[in-house]
Amino acid sequence: FTRTKNKKLNQKPPVCFRSKMSLSNRDPLVVGRVVGDVLECFTRSIDLRVTYGQREVTNGLDLRPSQVLNKPRVEIGGEDLRNFYTLVMVDPDVPSPSNPHLREYLHWLVTDIPATTGTNFGNEIVSYESPRPNSGIHRIVLVLFRQLGRQTVYEPGWRQQFNTREFASLYNLGLPVAAVFYNCQRESGCGGRRS
Amino acid sequence: MLSSAKHKINHSAFSVSSSSSSLPHSYSQAKNMTQVTMEEVWKDINLASLHQHRQLNIDHEPVLSNQNPNNSIFKDFLKKPLNQEPQPLPPSSSSSTLHRSLPPPPPETVLSLNPHSINTHFDESARFGCFGMKRGGQESDESRGDRRHKRMIKNRESAARSRARKQAYTNELELAISHLQKENARLKRQEEQLKMAEATQHQTKRKLQRSWTTPF
Repeated sequence: FTRTKNKKLNQKPPVCFRSKMSLSNRDPLVVGRVVGDVLECFTRSIDLRVTYGQREVTNGLDLRPSQVLNKPRVEIGGEDLRNFYTLVMVDPDVPSPSNPHLREYLHWLVTDIPATTGTNFGNEIVSYESPRPNSGIHRIVLVLFRQLGRQTVYEPGWRQQFNTREFASLYNLGLPVAAVFYNCQRESGCGGRRS
Repeated sequence: MLSSAKHKINHSAFSVSSSSSSLPHSYSQAKNMTQVTMEEVWKDINLASLHQHRQLNIDHEPVLSNQNPNNSIFKDFLKKPLNQEPQPLPPSSSSSTLHRSLPPPPPETVLSLNPHSINTHFDESARFGCFGMKRGGQESDESRGDRRHKRMIKNRESAARSRARKQAYTNELELAISHLQKENARLKRQEEQLKMAEATQHQTKRKLQRSWTTPF
């Protein structure tokens, strides 16, 4: 029985074909398939710092529902207070990563965040709903977009089957300027390890 | 000659169905048993694939039983006249050994599932050799194979996700380490500079203090 390579062509992470400045192919966002499943390949240009309590979110960090009950502190970079940013928080692995037919689930949507400030200064269009995955290990992605100006964003009718790409296109947000993701599984999950 | 025949059968069977990896050796097995020509085998294989194994021949039993992962062919064997029944067992066991002795089949892509499924179905057909499941259970056999297949794929995907998760976290840690090392070096340099600046300042401070002290 020979060891087989993956037969499906879409098993490998997407390759970022952009310039050298954009995400490298080893970037956690690419390796973790966030670029591909949720976002297009982009270039980081604005700092994004997400903190739950004392814990700063780094890509691929493992958090449990009890640790993400309340909305995190989000601080963004940039320089000019006249630039406004939108933050989107989605779960692309609903209801389960092996069968994500409800992709994506919108957990939080904040617009009109001035540069150098945080979500406290923005407009919470969709209130924060804490992730409570039931099955599997879900990726929770926070994406930052730059707005063209202050704009009215209408809240979607429902949280599930949200599409970040379409949303960005609808409001002319362009490519993301920052993104970070963490992994979340149910409280009593085994951490993806058995025995 | 034989190798080209094997090669040809391998290719066509690959386009026809997914389980052709064991065909070469079963073909050689069949050839050993009776003097059958390559064209006949070829024709029968095509027929079998087109008409869903309706035409069966004693020479092609091992070939077709290997070709069809389901045991419906074997059931057809069992329905045939009795003098043919003893045949299926020896070929299945011997061709399985043949299979293991030969090097792994060349087409690595779709066919690679087959060695596994063929081996399991050999086990099952050995069990069915006791004629236990003559009638019912044909549907569950197929769905069992399908379910196993689906489960395998799901498991593969899950494993790939798990690897990606691990790799993403590792890469993030490496980036963080590199970032922290740079910052550490920078801060240390800064500290050195401040220390030196403070040392010179401290000396001047002393002088100042001295100049300020007076007896009263």
